[in-house]
Amino acid sequence: MTTRAAIAGLGITEMGKVYGRSATDFAVDAISRAAADAGLSLADIDGLYVNPGIKNDTDLRLQSTLGMRNTRVLATIQGFGSSAGQMVQMAAMAIEAGMAEVVACVYADAPLTEGKRAGAAYPGQARAMKGVGSLPFAAGLKAAPERYAVATRRHMHAYGTTSEQLGAVAVAARQWAQLNPAAQMREPMTLEDHQSSRMIADPLRLLDCCLVSNGAVAVIVTSAERAATLAQPPVHVWGWGQGHPGYVNRRDSEFGLVTGAAQSGPEALKMAGVGVDEIDVRELYDCFTFTTLVTLEDYGFCAKGEGGEFVASGAIAPGGSHPTNTGGGELSSFYMWGMTPLSEAVIQARGQGGERQVPQHDLVMVSGNGGVLDFHSTLILSPHQKGK
Amino acid sequence: MTLTLIDAPAGLAPVVRDDFSAPFFEASAEGRLLLRWSPSSDAWSEPAARFCSVTQAADLEWRESTGAGRLVTWTVKPGRAKDDQPAVATVIGIVELDEGPWLSLLLPQADAADLAVDAAVRVAWSQPEGSEVLPVGLLV
Repeated sequence: MTTRAAIAGLGITEMGKVYGRSATDFAVDAISRAAADAGLSLADIDGLYVNPGIKNDTDLRLQSTLGMRNTRVLATIQGFGSSAGQMVQMAAMAIEAGMAEVVACVYADAPLTEGKRAGAAYPGQARAMKGVGSLPFAAGLKAAPERYAVATRRHMHAYGTTSEQLGAVAVAARQWAQLNPAAQMREPMTLEDHQSSRMIADPLRLLDCCLVSNGAVAVIVTSAERAATLAQPPVHVWGWGQGHPGYVNRRDSEFGLVTGAAQSGPEALKMAGVGVDEIDVRELYDCFTFTTLVTLEDYGFCAKGEGGEFVASGAIAPGGSHPTNTGGGELSSFYMWGMTPLSEAVIQARGQGGERQVPQHDLVMVSGNGGVLDFHSTLILSPHQKGK
Repeated sequence: MTLTLIDAPAGLAPVVRDDFSAPFFEASAEGRLLLRWSPSSDAWSEPAARFCSVTQAADLEWRESTGAGRLVTWTVKPGRAKDDQPAVATVIGIVELDEGPWLSLLLPQADAADLAVDAAVRVAWSQPEGSEVLPVGLLV
């Protein structure tokens, strides 16, 4: 399949420790900003995909809040961290099929409460401790850090990945964030800072973990033809993929070793008709430093098991051979699930990255990761229309 | 036979049964670990499995495990000090049972220095207040 869809608008609300606003309020704000960014009005939007975050307090009823009439495609999408890529894929297909002309895709969440620590925003899965399916949660594998920690340790044992190498991911993200005026965390960070940060769930330290943010991000997807008439340079969707490995809890499981990126990435590249070596910029879901590292391996930017050495070489940092997470990512900029990498990909593809702009930005690869490496989506974006 | 229970560690949360898990907890109360087993594939699956983890067959039965296995991976949560109580670290491991399935187990008596991939583990039992008897892991 080829696609002629393009991202024509991007809306990012104020972000981070922003209190007193609901997820719905943020979502309306983000969509309004995205429409204005594209040079459209809300009345031009005839499709809406809504991805609620962990608080799950907004949904497709956002349509009526926005005053939308005669909406042609509408759904709440929940693929956890893979949702942003999935929404763009579904929007592009809807446009290809003639089901809609202008589709808004939005993620919104407001988990932070004033006066409470960020960790309290994600206390673990709100799941009744009932039945044998609850045994992992009862044993303490509740929240993301400990669940990613067991995955990370498995990779460390199999391939010799080290905490210092994970730290290189955190330091690179912070170096990029220092170039991004909108990033939440811009203070300098050294590898020593990473190594001395408190342990959250061994082997993951505080500086291996992403931020927690209140806010919303929206993109407007339309046809390439329509996008060419609008206010911003179009960002064309060249390819996409998904991969959901369905790990089984038994001998030979690849949990912690190989993720859905190994399926999703090659499918997206194949659809785009490009090789991984042609990718100029990587915007990868980085809920933890390990997620960046293992995604780089599974996409093929380095060999399996060599992600640690790859990131420690400086390849992904500013000035490196493989610019990655150029806005600071979820580790240092803001945490809006898959909209964090997607929004930075749009900025880079447009050439609007300011001080952090990567000079060569013809092809941008975007990942989304949900669950504990369970759900994956990929997009290949370009400022150029495919085949032209 | 009297089941010897380990004092419920702080990190172990209570679990109650549902219809599906009733046989599992009937056995756990006697100190027996049940897994799911497929007669058509002769493969074992974790206790929560509804379908065979190898063939997706729907013919799973409960079958008793030896309760012996090896450590695949683990994490140590340092815990937080509260009032006059010092922080208590919690060790949680994924254990591959000899039959093949993985169990996520709290390892209440594990010394972090003894943790190693492939370390031998055996299932023991504990019962938090208001809970069924739950499996925990002991380094052998």
